[in-house]
Amino acid sequence: MATPSLIERARDPSERTLAILLLAPAFALLALIVVYPIGKLIWNSFFDLRLSGGSGAFKFVGLLNYEDVLKDKDFWNATKNTVLITLITVPGALVVGLGLALLANLPFRRRWPVRLALLLPWALPLSFAGLIFAWFFHTEYGVVNDVVRRLGGLGFEPQTMWLLKPNYAFAAICLTIIWKTSSFMALILLAGLQMIPRSLYEAAEVDGASRWQQFWQITIPMLMPSIVVALIFRTITALQTFDIPYTMTKGGPGNATETLAMLIHKTTIDYLDVGYGSTLAVCMFLLSLCVTAVYLRRIGKE
Amino acid sequence: MMNTVALPTPRSLIASPLEGPGLRFIAASMVVVNGFFPAVWILLTSLKTETELVSKPITWFPHAPTLGNYVQAFTDQPLLRYLGNSLVVALLATVFSLLVSACAAYAIARLNLKHRQLILTAIVASSMFPLVTLLVPIFETMRSLGLLNSYTALVLPYIVLNLPVCTLVLVSFFQSIPRDLENAAMIDGCTRIGALWRVVVPLAAPGVFTAGILAFVNAWDEFLLALSLNSSASMRTLPVGITLYQGEFTFPWPIISAALIVAIVPIAVLIAIFQERVVGGLTQGGLKG
Amino acid sequence: MKRRFLLGTLALVAGLASGAADAQTTLRVFSGGANQRPDLMRKLFDQYQAANPGVKIDIETGGATSELQRQYLSTVLNAKDAAIDIYMIDIVNPAQYFGAGWLEPLNAYVGEPASAMKPYLPAYAQANVINGKIAAMPAFADAMFMYYRRDLLEKHGVAEPKTWDELSAAAQKIQKAEGDPNLQGLSIQGAPIEGAVCTFLLPYWSQGKDFNDANGRMTLDKGAAVKGLNQWLGMVDAGVIKKNVAEVKTPDTVNEFKAGQVVFAINWGFAWDRFKDDKDSKVAGKVGVMPLPAMAGGKSATCVGGWQWAVSAFSRHKPEAAKLVQFMASANAGKFLAAEGSLLPTIPSVYAEPEVVKAVPWFKDAAAVVLAGRSRPLSERYGEVSDTIRTTTSAVLARTKKPEEGVAEIESRLARVMR
Repeated sequence: MATPSLIERARDPSERTLAILLLAPAFALLALIVVYPIGKLIWNSFFDLRLSGGSGAFKFVGLLNYEDVLKDKDFWNATKNTVLITLITVPGALVVGLGLALLANLPFRRRWPVRLALLLPWALPLSFAGLIFAWFFHTEYGVVNDVVRRLGGLGFEPQTMWLLKPNYAFAAICLTIIWKTSSFMALILLAGLQMIPRSLYEAAEVDGASRWQQFWQITIPMLMPSIVVALIFRTITALQTFDIPYTMTKGGPGNATETLAMLIHKTTIDYLDVGYGSTLAVCMFLLSLCVTAVYLRRIGKE
Repeated sequence: MMNTVALPTPRSLIASPLEGPGLRFIAASMVVVNGFFPAVWILLTSLKTETELVSKPITWFPHAPTLGNYVQAFTDQPLLRYLGNSLVVALLATVFSLLVSACAAYAIARLNLKHRQLILTAIVASSMFPLVTLLVPIFETMRSLGLLNSYTALVLPYIVLNLPVCTLVLVSFFQSIPRDLENAAMIDGCTRIGALWRVVVPLAAPGVFTAGILAFVNAWDEFLLALSLNSSASMRTLPVGITLYQGEFTFPWPIISAALIVAIVPIAVLIAIFQERVVGGLTQGGLKG
Repeated sequence: MKRRFLLGTLALVAGLASGAADAQTTLRVFSGGANQRPDLMRKLFDQYQAANPGVKIDIETGGATSELQRQYLSTVLNAKDAAIDIYMIDIVNPAQYFGAGWLEPLNAYVGEPASAMKPYLPAYAQANVINGKIAAMPAFADAMFMYYRRDLLEKHGVAEPKTWDELSAAAQKIQKAEGDPNLQGLSIQGAPIEGAVCTFLLPYWSQGKDFNDANGRMTLDKGAAVKGLNQWLGMVDAGVIKKNVAEVKTPDTVNEFKAGQVVFAINWGFAWDRFKDDKDSKVAGKVGVMPLPAMAGGKSATCVGGWQWAVSAFSRHKPEAAKLVQFMASANAGKFLAAEGSLLPTIPSVYAEPEVVKAVPWFKDAAAVVLAGRSRPLSERYGEVSDTIRTTTSAVLARTKKPEEGVAEIESRLARVMR
């Protein structure tokens, strides 16, 4: 008895119905919750909706907002900061996350401290993680300066003002982001590690491959799908970085650490300029789409 | 005919560059310090007074530990109520996120869809807009549905927020499970959906638990929607509640730390219980020919 | 017979029910966090409810800080939500919120500004009236005070400084004599918070300069602004102000002063009670308050703060809400808040009331300071104004921008906004 071939199954109407049934809840929810908001957002981006100083009549300005965005030096500064944060924290979180995942998987006698330590950064609400690390990096009351002092200075000036120097502030923010998000990466990678069949390693051992070789030739390739998934979301979230710089430096000093999401937040909530804020949001979306398009195609292909 | 397929094992022998028990222990200690330090610091802070926090040099352990901050944390606000609300919302959001994502992921991973690429992109694209710009329309929708200040008001958007991550994670896990296993099940008389729940999901258990934890923590942490949609004190969630200990001019770290410990402990306990599942995996064999 | 009786009863019941429904209005008030004393406001609301049986008032706390409140309000008010009737907003907000169409003009309910706003301090009358429309009514006042360690000044024979130079010299003298490396001369707020706008304006105003004219157009004197910023930087160099001043927020100043680490501190009115009453305060009984110093040849000036009651433009009970607002802004309410909560009154006559004088003796000194208080720029686009000034000031204090650069940036950005 031959099993039905794949092609026959595809033409099977019940399979198509099944597909629709399975996808329906997801798309129904998407339609209910985000389609109208996203549509409204794009619509708003073509208007001058400055709520303050508004005469009440909203002007249609077409692509003028987009022109303004391209000429806006705050936008380019924020985008530069955002891209920089992405370029640093995505690989950073990946490397640290991979290390954490490998460690968490090793046979220890008591495993739970390592695993709990892995996931605890997750338990801290994001908005408070930023405040806590801002405190750690505080010039006078921060643990970092205290530890540096006890270790004899480590080449830093005493009482370094971490969050008041643009480069140091940037580094502190990236460090905090990596700390918080490496758990996310580790989680996904760990699950991926679980799915690698033991027989592959056994066969490699028999062939005389060293541990390093096994790592690079078995672990990493088999982990690729998980890595790609983790990277997609880490990237999308990195491009939307808001909470940590907002609570640590408020974008300061000046706007050295202001990200695109902070600019959008400021424009929409503080300036009450919904039209321009929507334009910036659409730009952020386009940026995210371009950056992740490469990854997405890879997943779809499999 | 025997179907000998390499089965994924719960604890694979992962070849890693980390050699030797000594190095391993050092590395493990670093991980533990890294993960626990902020939480321990918050714990110590919750036992101090505000004036002690500005002493120079800074103190690590409290001079005169006091539980007064915890008392105040519970009396200034209905902290337990907030905790309860967060738990309910997060649990509901997790369960439904998993259900919806698993179905969608299966369709994308297994069924021969014509526009698979587009569907996937559409799902992921919804997470590419900053939430702050979508707040007002979401608020309007919930208001017109009469759902403001309810658990549903938060659970529905949270499912949507979790959809991209959970779906993608599950897609990649479903894809890594050999199709032959399902074929075997279906030959034995299973429907497709039956095969999904009886074969694929158990084998992808690590992925399912991962997606579950991701969904839970996302829902637990979420702030903006919780602030805007569930503003009444009885329906408030923890992240929003904790910000209310502040004042315009005051930021009582000791009390806020006490509240944070109350917020962290349930999650830590949950993680400690389920870490074996998440990390250890669950597979107990697949189908034998 | 039976039918008529039944109908009659039904009519009676219906009449009672609708009558009761008409008489009962529920007003929902959006109050801020702990610093806006919702507990005291609740007592006032209870008084009002007792006097007005058909009205029930519910308080909703939605945001502990102006930031969080604005986050919540911008969502809810942009959605034109009718759920909340009355808001308590910061003094810098009426112009912006009114311009956004969120506040109901109160002229029809309380009268025209000339008469309705007459009892209040000029700064509050000004801040709440936009283009002849009353946008909000004052709830309570606030100002930035110069707190100082009376005991230390007495110990070292230093008189109350009248100019900034005198203050700097006094602080240095005391710091040197005390020999404590952790003793700060002066604590100001340099973090990019709203208070940093005041940090910029204080030395500028004290040279007798104005930031904007009566029409809201910017009249920045760049030289004076640079001089003001340089004054702070000079004090940092002299060790009077600590070098990480750009990290200092309002609670930091209060906590450090309370711990006895500061000689002079600029802060809002709430700090007085904290210094006096907090269990862990090391400075209780040792604190004095004085008007802010001036620049040599200038005039003492301070920043006013305070909160206002506004009626939502989307409220379904505007007349009742306006009536409540009028009650809350009245002299009696002001007296209650002063005596019970040490909240500064917005009506000059209340300062002299015997029960206030008895309950809060330090208001005697405070009155003069509040009267000399000035408003931050009243602009419909205050969000941008505030953000520019506070971010730039903080950057200058962090020494990542030179004062000249910072002032130039303020001028170029705000020239478009404050026209």
